[in-house]
Amino acid sequence: MNYLLPHSIDQAAGNFPDKDAFRCGNNHISYRELSAKTNQLAHLLVSLGVRKGDRVGIYLRRSLETAVAVYGIMKAGAAYVPLDPDAPAARTRFLLEDCSIEHLISHRSQLRGLDDILKEDVKLKTIIGISEEQVIKTLPWEVLEQFPAGNGPALRILEQDLAYVMYTSGSTGAPKGIMHTHYSGLSYARLSAQLYHLSPEDRIGNHAALHFDISTMGYFSGPLVGATTVIIPEAHTKMPASLAQLMEKEKLTVWYSVPLALVQLLDQGLLDQRDLRAIKWVLFGGEPFSSRHLKALMELWPQAIFSNVYGPAEVNQCTYYHMTTPPDINTAIPIGQVWDNTEIMIVDKTDAMVPEGEQGELLVRSATMMKGYWKQPQLTEKSLYVSRDEWGFEKVFYRTGDLVQLNPKGELMFLGRKDRQIKTRGYRVELDEVEAALLRHEGVTEAAVFSVSNDVEGLLIEATVILKDQCTLSEKALQSFVGLHLPLYAMPHKINFVSSLPHTSTGKIDRVKLQEEGAKIKENK
Amino acid sequence: MRQVLIDYIEEQLLSGRSGIKVAAEDDLMGSGLIDSMGMMRFVRFIEDHFEITIPPEDLVIENFMTVEDIDNYLKGRKSA
Repeated sequence: MNYLLPHSIDQAAGNFPDKDAFRCGNNHISYRELSAKTNQLAHLLVSLGVRKGDRVGIYLRRSLETAVAVYGIMKAGAAYVPLDPDAPAARTRFLLEDCSIEHLISHRSQLRGLDDILKEDVKLKTIIGISEEQVIKTLPWEVLEQFPAGNGPALRILEQDLAYVMYTSGSTGAPKGIMHTHYSGLSYARLSAQLYHLSPEDRIGNHAALHFDISTMGYFSGPLVGATTVIIPEAHTKMPASLAQLMEKEKLTVWYSVPLALVQLLDQGLLDQRDLRAIKWVLFGGEPFSSRHLKALMELWPQAIFSNVYGPAEVNQCTYYHMTTPPDINTAIPIGQVWDNTEIMIVDKTDAMVPEGEQGELLVRSATMMKGYWKQPQLTEKSLYVSRDEWGFEKVFYRTGDLVQLNPKGELMFLGRKDRQIKTRGYRVELDEVEAALLRHEGVTEAAVFSVSNDVEGLLIEATVILKDQCTLSEKALQSFVGLHLPLYAMPHKINFVSSLPHTSTGKIDRVKLQEEGAKIKENK
Repeated sequence: MRQVLIDYIEEQLLSGRSGIKVAAEDDLMGSGLIDSMGMMRFVRFIEDHFEITIPPEDLVIENFMTVEDIDNYLKGRKSA
């Protein structure tokens, strides 16, 4: 029976031994090779002292090695912890310490970052994947050849055991680790494979870095059905024209990314000449897709079904909204319906269910749900809602902090974050609504809205936008445009025009950073 | 020309990561020296500084992988 994530690749190695499991640039690895290499890595890790439940770090960029690392670590009974190579060294050291990571899997291309991390004391014992000497022991990838490839270590691993820990920013300032088990990870893989009709013929474009939760589709769902996952190489994520070329060359059938990656291709007119008729599914998530861009893209790829994927990393995915016809401009895209093996509640501040159609916080109970936050029982408890029936049976829901409501068609609409709501001069304003208003202007490519506090007037709304090339739009003109859609109090009092917005390492606009910068400018005045 | 590019990368794009020296043949993208937003800023800088327009279809890895590649691309444009 298939109940652990690595069972997927071993099973695919039996069914489709020579098929590419993963591709990245000019490199590829078959299921047979992947199964063998991950067995070897697991044996190596066990020989180094890794025990069931230990955490092993992955310090790699988009590459084939990531797939070997993910599955090799899990076959050793350990949980993998993807580290962001772009994160500041201090943050990475915090994660290493927080997860008591002793072994790290990396590559010589990451030496620069590793040097930085090792400048200060860390409790690492081994770095696998580099031959260059460091202050701690290093082992080259070639060392794997010395270990048995036929089978992984004989270990009693249960589906409820820890499989991976993914970090996300915490409201307290320190990152928090989301714990997922084989059960929650595999449940996600099964549900997504079913929902998107994944088959061994599929070629899944994986744009997300490994530390971003939407990478689980490429890394888990692809192997579950014996499909090929095409890891978009680092360089292609930075060069849109090359990315468009690659999408065509690899004949991708499924695409999954944040909207930004597609918007960039679209705005630069790079998709018009590409033959992308192989694409059947376009999945997007992480943040809202402007209906204007989505419409343009859907007109370009009429053969594809577009699907809005929603779900915080704590539950992987929980809803979907499929689209076969382009949306009307200026309408928000629903997050849609709850998928299988999942139930929801929409509650008010007192945890009472809101009347149907009213706005409330979304609570989710699902097979795909996390086990909790690593080493943070209090935070975990706070994030959960437990309902008990009279017989003592418990149902545990995750509090998403997202505000939703059901529209008249019974589809869930995402309204914003519980904590992105502000009051300005006594009025309640959803900042995301202001953003959506700015994005309605055809000259605006990206917009971020945040609040800045002012001693006299309280919270003020500010916006930072990127305009399309050659678009000359004055602050006044844009303000009057959004004034068409927003009440006066919700209009940004200031709009900054920039050429780039800061993004978090997972590709979302870093509004917190913008807000901090805005606050600093005020202080210095 | 190369030095202008290297200076910009070291001073503008790597700000905060002090002490990193960039060589003309360093892989700017695969090693993570420059992120995707940094790359867009870099392209805009090149356009402004050299007073040229780089069409979207020229934004390919072959032209921008290393400082050397960018240098060659810019030289190629001049002679064209």
